[in-house]
Amino acid sequence: MSELNIDEIVPQGKASRRDISNSVLRLRFTGVLVFLILLGIVFSILSPRFLSFENFNIIVSNASLLIIAATAEAIVVITRNLDVSIGSTMGLAGYVTANLAASVHGLGPILVLTAVAIGAVLGLVNGVLVAYGKVPSIVATLGTLSIYRGIDSMIAGGVDVTTSQLPKWMLNSVNIPILGIPSLVYFAALIVVVVSLLLRNVPALRQLFAVGSNPSASHFYGLKTKRIVLLAYVSCGFLAGLSGFLYAAQIGEVTVVLARGWELETLAAVVIGGVSILGGSGSLFGVALGAIVLATIDNGLVLLRVQEFWRMFVQGTAIVLAVAVDAMVDRRVKELLKTRRFSVAAGGKK
Amino acid sequence: MNALKRFLSRWEFYLVVLLVLAGAWSAELSPYYLNFSQIMFSTRFFVGPGLLALGLTGIVIVGEIDLSVASTLAIGTIMFSKFSAAGWPILPAVVGVMLICTLLGAINGILVSRFALPSLVVTLGTMGAYRGIAYIIGGQVGYTSFGPSYLWLGSTVVPHLSLPVSFLFFLFAALLFMFLQHGTVYGRLVFSIGNNSLATRFSGIRNNVVRTTAFAAGGAFSGASALIFIGQYASARADNGDGSILFVITAVVLGGVDIMGGSGTVLGVILSLFLLGTLSNGMGLANIAGTTQTIVIGVLLISSILISNLITLRASKHRTNLNNDVDGGESVSANNELKEGSM
Repeated sequence: MSELNIDEIVPQGKASRRDISNSVLRLRFTGVLVFLILLGIVFSILSPRFLSFENFNIIVSNASLLIIAATAEAIVVITRNLDVSIGSTMGLAGYVTANLAASVHGLGPILVLTAVAIGAVLGLVNGVLVAYGKVPSIVATLGTLSIYRGIDSMIAGGVDVTTSQLPKWMLNSVNIPILGIPSLVYFAALIVVVVSLLLRNVPALRQLFAVGSNPSASHFYGLKTKRIVLLAYVSCGFLAGLSGFLYAAQIGEVTVVLARGWELETLAAVVIGGVSILGGSGSLFGVALGAIVLATIDNGLVLLRVQEFWRMFVQGTAIVLAVAVDAMVDRRVKELLKTRRFSVAAGGKK
Repeated sequence: MNALKRFLSRWEFYLVVLLVLAGAWSAELSPYYLNFSQIMFSTRFFVGPGLLALGLTGIVIVGEIDLSVASTLAIGTIMFSKFSAAGWPILPAVVGVMLICTLLGAINGILVSRFALPSLVVTLGTMGAYRGIAYIIGGQVGYTSFGPSYLWLGSTVVPHLSLPVSFLFFLFAALLFMFLQHGTVYGRLVFSIGNNSLATRFSGIRNNVVRTTAFAAGGAFSGASALIFIGQYASARADNGDGSILFVITAVVLGGVDIMGGSGTVLGVILSLFLLGTLSNGMGLANIAGTTQTIVIGVLLISSILISNLITLRASKHRTNLNNDVDGGESVSANNELKEGSM
């Protein structure tokens, strides 16, 4: 679990504060889980087909790609920044890789490396602009959103890559059933677990939380904040490139609009999953759960034959509700911490 | 001499220079460019998004952001079509659209100020929710049977002068907004809150009221933009204005408004709209593909901030050097860190 905040990085010997913030994060996670279960109950009452293994499979495989991309987004959000170019990064990495696979045969795993490298370079550009150019992250990545997509369509020139042009192994890589569940689901689970462990155990990555919690304090504390933000963007681009490859493999027909609008999907998953948009806290397991909630809403609305555009409304409302709950919890925690501190101070005087 | 120096260091001055350069470049690219009626005709491409940009300007100066302005526009155009279908006369229809859009903006404002939620996420949510509502009300089929009175504002051209009414309307709205932002107490409060909301709160100013008003004004501008949109395209569909948020934010930021709030001028935004309009008009005349145009806009957006960062950094370094501050460069970077921290 990667639920840590500044209290854990800067040891202050106040176990009680740490307990509170940890239990709140657990509470937040449980909250999303309860919401998901409630959703499941409502949908299974309304539609008998909802509670079946096939449908479960559909939901998790739809959620998997979003889980990977949202993990990428979460890494940047934790540092109190944003990456709205993530959809374009996925699109560019996915298209170039698919194009390469179609024109040069027998590249094998080099294709995955290509996608990941393209993603990392695009992330590096974002990171340099934000960390060293001091361009506010939303402005910088909004700019690169259109630049990356523009480069994508210049390279593509209106030509799509079709399923028949792609190597078999690439298409199969995400669809091989293991115990009846497609391999993409295992990839997503693996990535969430591995990245969570890394965020928790690698010092350089733990510092992402410190920078997000309080950028100026970390700067004065002696952390290399610029380098840390850059690292976050490169990691985000790396994972976005990987999801671009997996997306291309999953749908087969790779067009220039691949993953368009995914910046919103991923941000929705991140916010619903309880990562604070103000940086410094959040858990990737929450993010995965957020992505599953979104996929479940989609799936349920389809099963209920609700018109497709209700989806936008429900998704948007879910985002607003999620931040409202976050703000409420946050205020409650601050009150709790305040009373704790007062009681400690009062106890010390006596 | 000092006044001249101050004038030369103004962001608006660089915008005018860029505007002249872009105009010269366009005239070079195409023989059809340098023609009054052609230039006037080209304004119709940016007055719609321009009104959105004006609305966003106030919101950004107060220290917030609104990603939902284009979705609000979509609800505006859909409601306009519903009023038209119900046979309403033009006046109540216009009032209705303006009221609805102002209300939608105010909802954002209340969520952001009263409930203290981050505006970026809230308006990301309402961007989807409002667009969803537009689809729910309007369906996927466009409505095109508007009466001539509904189209008048966006489609009429003043005879003999080749001045589009929509452009005059934009100028009127822009001047009104300029007065509101730079000439009234409310405008000063918007700037002060954007600079230091804690200080204004302790000065007894009701931050939430001012913030909500800025969002409501943004909604009203979206409504006005919806009216123009219908006149220009004569078609109301739920996807109206989809994707224009990039252009709108670019216009505001390129206009010299600090995305962190607290500074910027309406004149700068107007100039940047003209610059963007001139560029896309010129590139259109030169048959440059739409994708290249989006790359150019993206590069402009980023480089405008990079360049202004460079200028302010050098200016403050210069100032600290004058004060014989040895640690000048270091204190500048510390200031910037603090600013980021307070985002």
